[in-house]
Amino acid sequence: MESLLHFARGPGFLFAFAFMVLGLLRHLFLMIWQIARTYIRAGDKSLPYSAIAISSLEWMFPIRKLRDQPVFSLTSIIFHLAVIIVPVFLLGHIELWQRGIGLAWPGISNSLADVLTVVAIVTGLALLLQRITARATRSLSRFQDYALPLLITIPFATGYLMMHPAINPFPYTLTFLTHLVSANLLFILVPLTKLSHMALLPGSQLVSELGWHWPRDAGSRVAASLGKEGAPV
Amino acid sequence: MTGKSKYSYYVEGTALEVEDRPRKFLQAFAAVLEHSSYSLPLEVYTRLGAKCSRCAAACQLYEATQDPQDIPCHRSERLLRIYRRYFTKTGTLAARFLGKGFTLTDEYLDEMADAFYRCTACRRCKLTCPMGIDHGLITHLARWLLAEIEIVPKALQVAVRAQLEGVGNTSAIPVPALIDTCEFLEEEFRDIYEVDVKFPIDVEGAEYVFFPAVSDFLMEADTLMGNAAVMQLTGGSWTIGTGNFDGINYGLFYSDRMMERIVRNVVSEVERLKAKKVLVGECGHATRSAWFIPTFCGKEAPEVVNCLQYAWQQIESGNLPLKEGVKIEERTTYHDPCNIARVGRITEEPREILKRICSDYVEMTPNRTENYCCGGGGGTVSIDEIRAFRTGPLGQRKAEQIRATGAKYVVSPCANCKKQLRELCEDNGLDDVEVVGVHDLLLRVVDLKRDVPEVENREAAEEAEQKLYVPASVGAAAKQDLKISDDEE
Repeated sequence: MESLLHFARGPGFLFAFAFMVLGLLRHLFLMIWQIARTYIRAGDKSLPYSAIAISSLEWMFPIRKLRDQPVFSLTSIIFHLAVIIVPVFLLGHIELWQRGIGLAWPGISNSLADVLTVVAIVTGLALLLQRITARATRSLSRFQDYALPLLITIPFATGYLMMHPAINPFPYTLTFLTHLVSANLLFILVPLTKLSHMALLPGSQLVSELGWHWPRDAGSRVAASLGKEGAPV
Repeated sequence: MTGKSKYSYYVEGTALEVEDRPRKFLQAFAAVLEHSSYSLPLEVYTRLGAKCSRCAAACQLYEATQDPQDIPCHRSERLLRIYRRYFTKTGTLAARFLGKGFTLTDEYLDEMADAFYRCTACRRCKLTCPMGIDHGLITHLARWLLAEIEIVPKALQVAVRAQLEGVGNTSAIPVPALIDTCEFLEEEFRDIYEVDVKFPIDVEGAEYVFFPAVSDFLMEADTLMGNAAVMQLTGGSWTIGTGNFDGINYGLFYSDRMMERIVRNVVSEVERLKAKKVLVGECGHATRSAWFIPTFCGKEAPEVVNCLQYAWQQIESGNLPLKEGVKIEERTTYHDPCNIARVGRITEEPREILKRICSDYVEMTPNRTENYCCGGGGGTVSIDEIRAFRTGPLGQRKAEQIRATGAKYVVSPCANCKKQLRELCEDNGLDDVEVVGVHDLLLRVVDLKRDVPEVENREAAEEAEQKLYVPASVGAAAKQDLKISDDEE
């Protein structure tokens, strides 16, 4: 158990975290490269930059989007806030970063982290529940849509138990190991699943706009490559 | 021969004989990915899709049918799935080594053929997608790919054929008939309003060449007369070109290849007439298609102005005389055509005009960028065989909206919206509602009797009318007609 723990917090973590960062960078790089390529080939290079910027920001900070489907939207926003804030700003995590790479940043108090952890678990499960109960989402959902919210609750639940050994019914090492393994697994899954939106979301409004900016002679080129030049309508 | 057995709409008989469709579809897909801009959004969408179903709440069709197949995200997945399987590394590798994934079949394509014509590509769902996925773009692309294996509603294909290979416009109006119509409208001005308003034809060097939905010449006399009155009263230098007088572009609804050709024909006509700008009539998709002029013709191409933008600018600057104390008394409401309103490009001009000329103007909610589609968008309005679907599940929401306003006039500056809204009112018991264009109402309130500024090129216009121009693109039928009328003279 000890050696497993050692692996999971050492090389295991390093690998998983690097996999996530490099995977997201790859997505980001590919997106930017394709954006540049599409833009360079586009016949019409005028883009509604301010509209794109506004809608991108509106979706990154979707306060104004609360009015449609308020319950779902609010749950989703709170969930996102909690899952971003807790792992990044937990004092214990910051201390680890400082020990590892010498970097530190201001954190949140442990009591706030406790609250947010519970919030993350509750909203995560609520999102899953909404997904299962709403007809529309049920028909759309893939395996990852059910599995990810469940998986995300695990590091939070185990993290909470580690912070509160008094109420933890499981051995500390097992809790810790589960915490590490589930978090590492999530890191690896980030670039492979819809979680990659954490890198791609800021560009998606621009991408959708550029999808309509075709090369000047795209139609004729397609016709030529399909041997349909001069073919009747 | 026409086949309807397979799809909800008629297709050309030849469409049912196409063999090896999955391979041809993928071939077309590959060509489009290589030469156009779709690989960027597809690549990003396949990674992003969160399947949150917010789009379901935005879609008027899903709202009505509650059929999961009608959820925008579900529909888009049909195409994204093919992309993922055949055009991404993960998809091809998984298929090769795990034998996993699906195979594109004829049945799958047939399902797509129905699904992508249930969507009007109104893009309302785009506004609600947290991931910014534009399902309208996916519908647009899927329809193009389907068209490459000849799955196109016959109504759309026939119209484009008439425009590109026949008479030169989607309503197959020969040039002499166009000229007759314009003369008839000029007579109407003389008979009803006792004024001399011109429809200038083939005037070289005019500022604007006018491109209405050509069907207006057959069905929307008041709209056209409103257009002519506004142009004449404001001293606008405009002309109708006999080489091309059709703003309609059904390429937007099913094929970028066709769209490109039709847009280029518009620009050629402007160049032929040595004119400067394209003036689009009251038509949503014609306006949006014209906005693609820089895409297909570069930034030197003529500027595009919609007649609503022109009219409002003239009213605002006090150039368009309105009759004192005359207003439209009946309750009036405005329906935003998706193609000009969704991205917020033309939402205020028509409202400003209507508020100025109507004493009882009311909004329907939601409106502007968040409006509901009339139910005939994406070319579906031309498909007569699906009328029950259009005025039923697809248009039901709009009918409720109209009913809630209690309006007598539903104004919409779009030939397609108008046709659909009329059918919608007819089929939903809104018998007292009248569907009109903005210029129809403008015609009633502009002061035609006021000293009109002399049209700069009136003489040139009259001269040009004498010499009838026969464009190369005019088909044999038109030439025949022309000959007959020449003989008569």
